[in-house]
Amino acid sequence: MRRFIIVLLASLVLGLSPARAAHTHVTLLLAADTARPGDTVLAGVELQMDPGWHTYWQNPGESGIPTQIKWNLPPGVTAGDIQWPLPHKLPPAEVTTYGYVDDVMLVVPLKLAADLKPGQPLTLEADLTWLECQDQCIPGKTNVTTTLNLGPQNQPSTNAALITAWQQKVPAPVNPAEWSLHATWETPAQGDTRPLILDGQYLGAQDKPLAISAVDLFPAASDNFEIQPAIDLVPTSAGHFRLRKTVKKFSGDWPAAVAGVMVLGTSTGPANYEIQLAVADVPASSTAVAAGTQTPPAIPPSDAPTTSLALMMLYAFIGGLILNIMPCVLPVIALKILGFVGEARSQPRRVRLLGLTYAVGVLVSFLVMASVVIGIKAAGHQAGWGIQFGNPIFVVSLTTLVLLVALNLFGLFEVNLGGRAMDSASQLTLKHGYSGAFFNGVLATALATPCTAPYLSYALGFAFSQSAAVILLIFFMVGLGLAAPYVALSWNPAWLKYLPKPGAWMEKFKIAMGFPMLLTMVWLFNLAAGTYGSQVLWLGIFLVLVAFAAWIYGEFVQRGRSHHTLARVVAAALVIGGYVWFLEGQLHWRDALKLDGSAVSRKDGPDGIDWGEWTPEAVLAARQAGHPVLVDFTADWCLTCQVNKKTSIEIPSVRAKLKELNAVALLADYTHAPDNITAELTRHGRAGVPLVLLFPKDTAAAPIVLPEVLTPGIVLSALDRAAN
Amino acid sequence: MKKLLAFLSCVALAASTFAVDIGKPAPDFTATDINGKPVKLSDYASKIVVLESYNSDCPYCHNHYATGAAQELQAQLAAKGVVWLLVDSVNAANSSHRTPVQARQEWASFKIKATAWLDDTSGKIGHLYDMKTTPHLFVIAKDGTLAYQGAMDDRAESEGDPRTAHNFVRAAVDSLLAGQPVAVTQTKPYGCGVHYAE
Repeated sequence: MRRFIIVLLASLVLGLSPARAAHTHVTLLLAADTARPGDTVLAGVELQMDPGWHTYWQNPGESGIPTQIKWNLPPGVTAGDIQWPLPHKLPPAEVTTYGYVDDVMLVVPLKLAADLKPGQPLTLEADLTWLECQDQCIPGKTNVTTTLNLGPQNQPSTNAALITAWQQKVPAPVNPAEWSLHATWETPAQGDTRPLILDGQYLGAQDKPLAISAVDLFPAASDNFEIQPAIDLVPTSAGHFRLRKTVKKFSGDWPAAVAGVMVLGTSTGPANYEIQLAVADVPASSTAVAAGTQTPPAIPPSDAPTTSLALMMLYAFIGGLILNIMPCVLPVIALKILGFVGEARSQPRRVRLLGLTYAVGVLVSFLVMASVVIGIKAAGHQAGWGIQFGNPIFVVSLTTLVLLVALNLFGLFEVNLGGRAMDSASQLTLKHGYSGAFFNGVLATALATPCTAPYLSYALGFAFSQSAAVILLIFFMVGLGLAAPYVALSWNPAWLKYLPKPGAWMEKFKIAMGFPMLLTMVWLFNLAAGTYGSQVLWLGIFLVLVAFAAWIYGEFVQRGRSHHTLARVVAAALVIGGYVWFLEGQLHWRDALKLDGSAVSRKDGPDGIDWGEWTPEAVLAARQAGHPVLVDFTADWCLTCQVNKKTSIEIPSVRAKLKELNAVALLADYTHAPDNITAELTRHGRAGVPLVLLFPKDTAAAPIVLPEVLTPGIVLSALDRAAN
Repeated sequence: MKKLLAFLSCVALAASTFAVDIGKPAPDFTATDINGKPVKLSDYASKIVVLESYNSDCPYCHNHYATGAAQELQAQLAAKGVVWLLVDSVNAANSSHRTPVQARQEWASFKIKATAWLDDTSGKIGHLYDMKTTPHLFVIAKDGTLAYQGAMDDRAESEGDPRTAHNFVRAAVDSLLAGQPVAVTQTKPYGCGVHYAE
């Protein structure tokens, strides 16, 4: 009877208002008692739950609501994103959730502005809302405050160790040098669900194979789809896992990327990493299997990695092939074909050897680049395709080199790399000795890098996250692709019969080819201008001196009848003097001038798109304010990016569309390859620019990744999709 | 043998997920309502039926009723001939379980305007429809096919006025009545997990 009355009373109360939260105790702690302006102080919001009660992770799972923190901070203090410690996967199976039992500390970095003035202690305040559940669920709400002193010294608080300990439970981003991860749709969609395969290959110490006993993916929250909690682990070899997850779609397209925390049980203990993976389409090899309605769960241990490696090698080869017709490489190739014309008929054997030498030049250069990439990765840095163009020493050297090649084509001086100085047009073809052919291969490679051909970026994006052997292999394939047409032609000179007979035209053609080379130099010079600003004038003067020296050398040393020594001395004096005086003295060419004004001239004319500077926070803020976001990852040295911008982004229709959708445009400048942008590119599976992303305003939706080469139609229709 | 078991459980899992697919016939069920009256889904053939996974102890569900927004919608839809069934799948041991007496009291104090409150203590209907949260809603078209499943609206809050939100159930029913295709057929349901029997 008493029980009945209590229940009756309870149900009456329930009819009026929900029960008050009383099972979670919240405290706000700081890692410092006193901090300096400019410091970042870790705040820890600790939630202590009564036994049996739990609160939720950022993705609550199939029910529940994530804990939310709304900060009220004084001016000059900004809160970062919540860093969520690894949650528990909570039963029951039919409604699985991700949450915390007993206690958890949500860690939030608080950034203090550098111009804060010491004085009154800062009052830091946060409003918390959460849902706590046991047999029933109760919404909780509270307000917590604490104070922070400003001073000349950072004084850690007694809670610093506790906060740091919780922060260590926050999954760190996965190290691509340690794990190679891939997400692939296993089959086409079956209704609203689709099986997703996550493949992981451990790349760490290979002498002790890593046994993987458990794998799960705790997915990031999303509105349009859900990665279901059930796990289906496909048996594979040591150091490799293959996890099948079912994705259920609520609306929109199938996600192009999945994100979350990879949770592993291994022979060296548990490990968890934050991951974000682009989802590849159904692998070609398995579509046949998947054609049936039901795929047996035990598919044979993966041959997918090998298939995709083979595919990537093919892409690399095709990409290398396409590089040949890129504007930066074409003059060099044209020169080589010129070289064939004379010799093909008389010396087929020599032509073949020259072809091979050229190929070796290309391949050695690519392998050197691969080694550099491996070296950079081993040193724990981010590497990307084309980053050498962010290095001023490389740019200045290449500009000078390209100028010399142009002058050589104009006939100002001759190159005697082959050991024989030739000066008549009739002997032109013989001039390119073996070392000349090798040098041409190196030059073609150096010039090829700014032109990332389509296909190549996929292969390179893949390669940059792989083991050293795979990087070497992919780079080797690109080199092979670049060298292939020349080698093929040198092997079958018969194909050259369509070319006109050698003669005086060749000398004119050679001079004509000097002009695209000059154009390349102008482009490189413009690149240097991005680094040195108006100081680039000194580089221009240096280049003129070098040109003058080249003429003196050609005219008086190579072709002159007397005063050879004097001419040599004058030419050397011009080059050395120009270098010491202008490059070292005036330009300080080895110290790149970091131009802070980069954000100033972002707007391309009065009607241009109003580009903001890219940061992950800016993207999130704009989306939270309800704007779709266009991000253009670009670099001054990336020709494809510039072409995309001119043809498909900075055009009236796209400008109008951006205005109409109230979209925010952000520019990520990769010219000097900052680590944070390299990391972002890697997250989207790219090794370099171009990359254009469209973030729907819905913050949970995955970004739309645009293809390498854009058309106005692609951009406009993607904008429409992002707005919906 | 192990492989076979794994295969069978996978098929079973797949079958359970495919039990309620948009555009497919909604599975039939029988149940008893809180007044002891038997209810069969197929009794309402040629009517639009709304199923709501219900537990008013869940603050998300509670807010729809405490504000009167759910009752208002139920009354409006009832006037258009729509049937609305509450499905209470809370297990008997849970503190949120309602005996028929308690349920009738709650029905009266909340002035619920649904057609019936079904006792699903066993979780039979809840599992059949793979109901995840309270509230989790399903709209069945006149031809017996599933037209919508997911959240009540686009506002996952346990306080404030739900009338300010876009209500997916209202939109789906209005489209069906107008003979238009339903624009949003699936959303992720929000709220507390359903407290099923073990």
